[in-house]
Amino acid sequence: MKTTHAKLMMILLIAVLMGLSSGSALAEKPIVIGCPLATAFLYGWDAERGVTLAIEEINAQGGVDVGGKKRPFKIEVIDTRDLEPGVPVSEALLAVEKLILDKEADFLIGGPVRSEAALAAMPLLSKYKKVSIVTTGVLTPKYHAMVAENYDKFKYCFRIHGEAKNLVGEIFANFADLKAKYGFNNLFIIAQDVSHARGAAEIIKKVATKKGWNVTGLEIYPTGATDFSIGLLKAKKTNTEIINIWMDMPESAILLKQWYDMQIPALPFGSTLAAAEQPGFWKATDGKGEYTLCNVVNAGNAPSNATPWTMKFYEAYTKRWGVEPEGLGTSSSYMAVYVLKDAIERAGSLDPDKVVAALEKTDMMGVYGRLRFDPKSHQVIPSTDPKEGAVGSILQWQNGQRVVVYPKSIAMGEIQLPPWMGK
Amino acid sequence: MEILIYGTINSVALALYALGFALVYGICRLPNFAHGALYVLSGFIAWTMINTLKTNLLVAVVATLIVTGIIGAVIYRLFLIRVRGMEISEIIASYAIALAILEGLRWGGFRGMTYTLPVFVEGSMTIGGISVDYQRILVVVVGAALVAGLWLFTHYTRVGLALRGMAQDERAALMLGIDSDMMAVVAMGMGSMLAAFAAILLLPLGNIVVESGYNVLILAIAVCIVGGLGSWMGAVLAAFLIGFAQILTVVYLGAHYQMMVALLAIIFTLILKPSGLFGQQKELEERV
Repeated sequence: MKTTHAKLMMILLIAVLMGLSSGSALAEKPIVIGCPLATAFLYGWDAERGVTLAIEEINAQGGVDVGGKKRPFKIEVIDTRDLEPGVPVSEALLAVEKLILDKEADFLIGGPVRSEAALAAMPLLSKYKKVSIVTTGVLTPKYHAMVAENYDKFKYCFRIHGEAKNLVGEIFANFADLKAKYGFNNLFIIAQDVSHARGAAEIIKKVATKKGWNVTGLEIYPTGATDFSIGLLKAKKTNTEIINIWMDMPESAILLKQWYDMQIPALPFGSTLAAAEQPGFWKATDGKGEYTLCNVVNAGNAPSNATPWTMKFYEAYTKRWGVEPEGLGTSSSYMAVYVLKDAIERAGSLDPDKVVAALEKTDMMGVYGRLRFDPKSHQVIPSTDPKEGAVGSILQWQNGQRVVVYPKSIAMGEIQLPPWMGK
Repeated sequence: MEILIYGTINSVALALYALGFALVYGICRLPNFAHGALYVLSGFIAWTMINTLKTNLLVAVVATLIVTGIIGAVIYRLFLIRVRGMEISEIIASYAIALAILEGLRWGGFRGMTYTLPVFVEGSMTIGGISVDYQRILVVVVGAALVAGLWLFTHYTRVGLALRGMAQDERAALMLGIDSDMMAVVAMGMGSMLAAFAAILLLPLGNIVVESGYNVLILAIAVCIVGGLGSWMGAVLAAFLIGFAQILTVVYLGAHYQMMVALLAIIFTLILKPSGLFGQQKELEERV
């Protein structure tokens, strides 16, 4: 009887101690992660959900070990509104400054989401010495080029997702396959009038011409445009076989509906195509978006088996939010928190310079492959093999499903053409 | 051929955006800056009826028109009547209401790209070698019928005549026993119903997004300024001018400059003929 009592007492004592130890992490001052995000848009809310999920998982495991003390993460989000038409960049900068000064953010993860705003925020980050990991939106190559050009000033800026040049490389790998398989040679480009899309469209035009493609047109539509019929007719008239699309505005869904209604005999190949990234796209277009391709930038934003963590993350996200990971910014925002945790623990401190040094030495297997930063530019190192670097993901809508078709190392299917293309 | 077809469609769409705004301003001299917000709100009302309440399309359309009309009338009765006649206050108050509606929708979770309304007729046809879907043809047909219906209503019904009386001279209308506040409520209700009508016809071509409320407002204002504030026929003519100018711009200059057309139209009209094409009352003031 006595031994049973003693055992019970021991179990109770252990339980209390365990409770105290996990509670002690929560009792410690939290490490504040500030998220400047355009929360009314896909690239904002999916990033917020990704960060929140990672924080909940890490806090449930006891938090972050900072020099021997366990501290929890805490998220603070401010809407930058930078994806809205007509909202000036200064709004996003105010959000960043407010996160730093009012919310006392120790680190920033997420945005600003629009390239123009993210570039403008870089001097603020150096002014306040705040380590920031950009995880969503921002595709301009200028971001990491600025870090490389002026390392001492911009060393606090990191980007953990793919950028426009990676996307261009991935697109041309697919274009080459389509050329070899179907003899395609005519390319029409449609882009939104924003920095990254305009820049990328120009790059695509130059590279395509160099590679022997016949670029039949380049149309740039203002943000918020709702009629694309004339652009599509131009594509049809010029016997275009692939329409390359760079748009992150919600109205891009209209473009694809019009493409179907007008039965344009060309494959819509979105590089940035926010509308088609989301699981709800099929219903939103009544299935008219079938055959649309889009780049969700990193694996994990659509179902695949890139790494053992990919589907684990995919299922955890779906369970937590009642919706599958929706597009660019989801898996990268989730991983940024784990990468930051790893760097803080190795640095043993929240000191920004020590964390920067630790982040530069990051080497971990994540949701979308091996994660390492280029030590000079702080851009995540890309690859088509998840064992070597961060892999991208291009999907095609097939029969109501998002099917990953690129890179081959993680593909779940092959590109199909709409029947009215007659191939 | 594509310029003719898509120019006409674009022009009718612009006219639909602007008619409600022009009607309210024409009758009670109220610049309703909540017009774009009412357009978006009616889209979400229809979406909720079809997807959440599972009503059929026709019921949803009728209910949306009625509910939006009532909302417009209530907005006037509760808020705008208090600032009636003070033009700057009217603009500020109606724009504040627009912000409240749009930001309220966003706050309420109506965000993203997945809200759409079903088309009335599925499929497409070829006209002169150019393929056009039936919904766009329907927009043109119904838009034309609506303009004709409005003309008949304002010329051959008692309420319509009272509204015209108000539009021509509010004090004289008062002396003839027309209740100007009641007519303003009716005008605001009708203007809101026209915004809903435009939404139900045009939103199935794309998706319902909160941000489009601001674009619709800008386009409606551009059309009304060019046509002459207060003139419904001027608005229709201006819609065709801007609509074709936009399509010609897309064809010959590039889609990039499309939005500039509407803004340049406002600037040039204000420089060359501030009263617009048919703004007769303002024109008289200019002469004085």
